Amino acid sequence: MTTYSKKEVLLRVEGVGLSYEGACILRDIGFSIRDVVRPGLQQGQVVSLVGRSGIGKTQLFRLLSGLQCPDRGSITIRERLPVEKGDGSIDLYRERIVRPGDMGVIFQNYYQFGWRTVGQSLLLAARRNKALVGKEEEAIRRYTQQFDIGDVLHRYPAQLSGGQQQRVSIIQQLLKGSDFLLLDEPFSGLDVCVLDRVVELLVQVSLSDELKTLIIVSHDISTAVAISDTVLVLGRQAGLEGSTIVREIDLIERGLAWQTEVRGEKAFAETVREIKGCL
Amino acid sequence: MFKPFDKISRKTFLILVGSQALVTLLLWQLSGGGLIPRPSTVMAALGRLLTTRLLLDNLLTSVMLTAQALLYAVLITLLFGYASVIPFFKPAAQFIVKCRYLTLTGLIFIFTLLTRDGGQLKLSLLLFGIVPFLTTSFLSIILHTPAQEFELCQTLGYNRWECLYEVIIIGKADQVFEVVRQNFAIAWMMITMVEGLNMSEGGIGALMIKYNKYNDLPHVLALQAVILGLGLGFDYVLGVLRHWLFPYTKH
Repeated sequence: MTTYSKKEVLLRVEGVGLSYEGACILRDIGFSIRDVVRPGLQQGQVVSLVGRSGIGKTQLFRLLSGLQCPDRGSITIRERLPVEKGDGSIDLYRERIVRPGDMGVIFQNYYQFGWRTVGQSLLLAARRNKALVGKEEEAIRRYTQQFDIGDVLHRYPAQLSGGQQQRVSIIQQLLKGSDFLLLDEPFSGLDVCVLDRVVELLVQVSLSDELKTLIIVSHDISTAVAISDTVLVLGRQAGLEGSTIVREIDLIERGLAWQTEVRGEKAFAETVREIKGCL
Repeated sequence: MFKPFDKISRKTFLILVGSQALVTLLLWQLSGGGLIPRPSTVMAALGRLLTTRLLLDNLLTSVMLTAQALLYAVLITLLFGYASVIPFFKPAAQFIVKCRYLTLTGLIFIFTLLTRDGGQLKLSLLLFGIVPFLTTSFLSIILHTPAQEFELCQTLGYNRWECLYEVIIIGKADQVFEVVRQNFAIAWMMITMVEGLNMSEGGIGALMIKYNKYNDLPHVLALQAVILGLGLGFDYVLGVLRHWLFPYTKH
């Protein structure tokens, strides 16, 4: 049995609702993501949000990213910031409402500025990160070598393959230095070989920092379960308008998290079946 | 070649253009006569024009005025275009766009009163003619900016001014250049008209009106050929310049 503990809340979603032209899209969404701690490891968090097409996943994605404000409820994150308390102690963290720019966002089509070369785009992102001042070029070199795209820095996005664009998007958001990384359908339209590489890549990212938190919005249930430590199922409840979180599955408790060969396990198949039953 | 959406090579296309132009000229040569001069007569007139300084001097006058007008027009358009994303300045930009429905003819007298000399009059008329069209195209570019461009900026933590700089000023520079290239044709077309209104400084428009006055159609058509050729030449140069300045537009 893997030793682990769940510590502070990193992201808290409370009573979030969204309506569009009078119709309720999202209703009473609530969940939280805690810092998972494993002794001797830098273990980030990977949470998948699954649901059928048209259920409101993208809307929730936009709310989480801060690009859109919810009509009801709140989304707060734990920010790394020194705060003086009354008794003189110093708390390095505080909770506040999520804003655009708080989360690294990787859009489904890996959108990049078409007028910037990969090198320029990455430099723009690196310059936003205070921790990288004076070391931007070095960080870019390290990430691009690690992600095997060191030879495309002078190219424009239109000259890259889909896989390369995805890696550039991920590196760009990593360079920006956000603890949270939101990914919209990262497994969509990938062949089996590329899919394995992307999964490997995301695992690599999640292990890069203790507080690194990946939130993956996907309708690919198997891959989502294989990579995550928690799965949130977005669905509808009979007689109620709008989608909400209908099931939260802790994959660590079930012994399904952080395993490379998890797909062959019986519990994995049962979990996938259980999620499908919720949709 | 005769099916919709058929793809043909560049070489085939050039052969098509050349042969169709040749057939048109041949038909014109064979059917011409009377008041409309044949291509051979136009060519002879063009040959005579090319041997004098008259054409070159007048052409230079027109090109310089067009370039000057275009430069000012671009500056005015960029100013109002960039400012239009700030709500306070939007009405002014929208007003300029609507000005394209006004005719120059009704405003010549007012412009004459407002300007000091013929040169200024021509320049202001050209600006009045070009700026509304240039602004219309530029505002359309801004309006059709994909939301994802702004959202990517926001996810990178840019504030609104930084978004404006990255997405509109830098990101749309190639499209602005293309709009200028397209609107150069309008400026080039208008130059002959405004030079006709004030002939004191010469120019290709003034020259054409002079030939028109004496019904010298071979020279009029020869000048038209020069205007067309030069316009196509400028268009090509601006196209090459665009790909050089903004290499990503090739892909």
